[in-house]
Amino acid sequence: MPLLSLQQVRFAFPGWPLTVDGADLEVEQGSFHCLVGRSGCGKTTLLKLAAGLLQPQSGRVVFHGQARDIGFVFQSPNLLEWQRVIDNVLLPATLHHRATEQERQRAQKLLEQLGLGAHAAKYPRQLSGGQQSRVALARALLLQPSLLLLDEPFAALDAITREELQRDLLATCRRSGTTVLFVTHDIAEAVYLADRVDVVEDGRIAQEIAITLPGRSAAVRYDPAFVRFCAQVRAALHLEAVAA
Amino acid sequence: MNRNAWTLRAGSLLLAAVLLLAWEAACRALRLPVLVLPPPSAIAISLWQGLASGYFWPHLRTTALELLLGVVSGSALGFLAGIALGESATTRRLLMPYFVASQVVPKLALGPLFVLWFGFGVTSTVVITALICFFPLMENTLTALQQVAPERLELFRMLGATRRQTLWRLKLPSGAPAILAGLRVAVVLALVGAVVGEFIGATRGLGALVIATQGTMDTARMFAVLVLIAALGMVAYQATLLLERWLLLPFTRNS
Repeated sequence: MPLLSLQQVRFAFPGWPLTVDGADLEVEQGSFHCLVGRSGCGKTTLLKLAAGLLQPQSGRVVFHGQARDIGFVFQSPNLLEWQRVIDNVLLPATLHHRATEQERQRAQKLLEQLGLGAHAAKYPRQLSGGQQSRVALARALLLQPSLLLLDEPFAALDAITREELQRDLLATCRRSGTTVLFVTHDIAEAVYLADRVDVVEDGRIAQEIAITLPGRSAAVRYDPAFVRFCAQVRAALHLEAVAA
Repeated sequence: MNRNAWTLRAGSLLLAAVLLLAWEAACRALRLPVLVLPPPSAIAISLWQGLASGYFWPHLRTTALELLLGVVSGSALGFLAGIALGESATTRRLLMPYFVASQVVPKLALGPLFVLWFGFGVTSTVVITALICFFPLMENTLTALQQVAPERLELFRMLGATRRQTLWRLKLPSGAPAILAGLRVAVVLALVGAVVGEFIGATRGLGALVIATQGTMDTARMFAVLVLIAALGMVAYQATLLLERWLLLPFTRNS
């Protein structure tokens, strides 16, 4: 049974044509899906439908987990600038109760895993953009969600920082066995991260490509298989036709 | 403070000294009647006499008290009204026209009515001052609550926050700078309200004293009272700035 499934989901913003038009998607437990598509293809809307932030006009979104078992990372880090880093990470807990010692330790451990152990008492404004994205990731992972949804979280970062964050995201999710649905418009990012790349076009999943790479070290980016998968995704997005 | 800032401050004081000296010299050279424009020396003597004899103190205390009570009650009500209007579109549509109507009527024109209702004295002036403070707080709170970034609201929805949690943990903290800017405006307007309120409906207070000195044609003392009003306003404004700085510490501190 898939952890998350979207069945013939349709959605339109009031006064606009359908943004999501009959999307089908199944996300298995423990898998890493990337939604790739051009701007305006409906991939962010799909993610918000999966999160329950939007309600489909028809079709079904089925999530086999408990409430608040979904972590969401937004395009911008979206941190509360009047709270310290550690309190930002603890927000999902402190919103509902006083943080337990266990939760505090977990927050600190997450920050350490993401290389921010020494920055817990700082304010977000004292961190770089990449560090802020890491804090947002730690916040989404605090309650150990079974499903993590990310909406182009690294799009605004420089290439070097982005590569580091991709590596750390992959390692963190592998360690915890978290299922991931990741929206991006960066083909190389999708191929590096995902074991399934879903190409989104006109509000539906046009093609699903299974990625089988020999490991996920930095060197894999130069592997012939990596290049081949990128070409396959490019073809699915009709990019090769434009180049020719 | 660095050297440049000290130089500027010294320059500012020097400018005041030069202006006062020019005023004094002009009064003596042109032999202006004291009734029209008393020289700074006469004003200073009158100020000192009023303070030393204790004549000014009860009036200063009354105006300060009215200012404090008016600002606290008016701001608190404005803040609460801003929350009520910001949180509910129904309330906003229902009540907003009345709030606006109540504000476009010049409050001071209501002074005689308040004297009729609440009598001469502190109460009328506090009511006028509070009415003046109400609007900036209400407007700024309402605007601040409505300008929270949609992505942040989505974050709180994602985290399962209730409306009340969203208000207390997101909307009010993120709106704090705008709300406190409203308070600063309110404090400045409130002093005007308190003093002019006293013109109409009080026998005590710095405003009443201005009217009294007009009656006795003691212009030097009138200027002395104006100096006190200005000083009270500066103190109130500085106190508001300190409060604001303290409340906004999480937005500014770096340790």
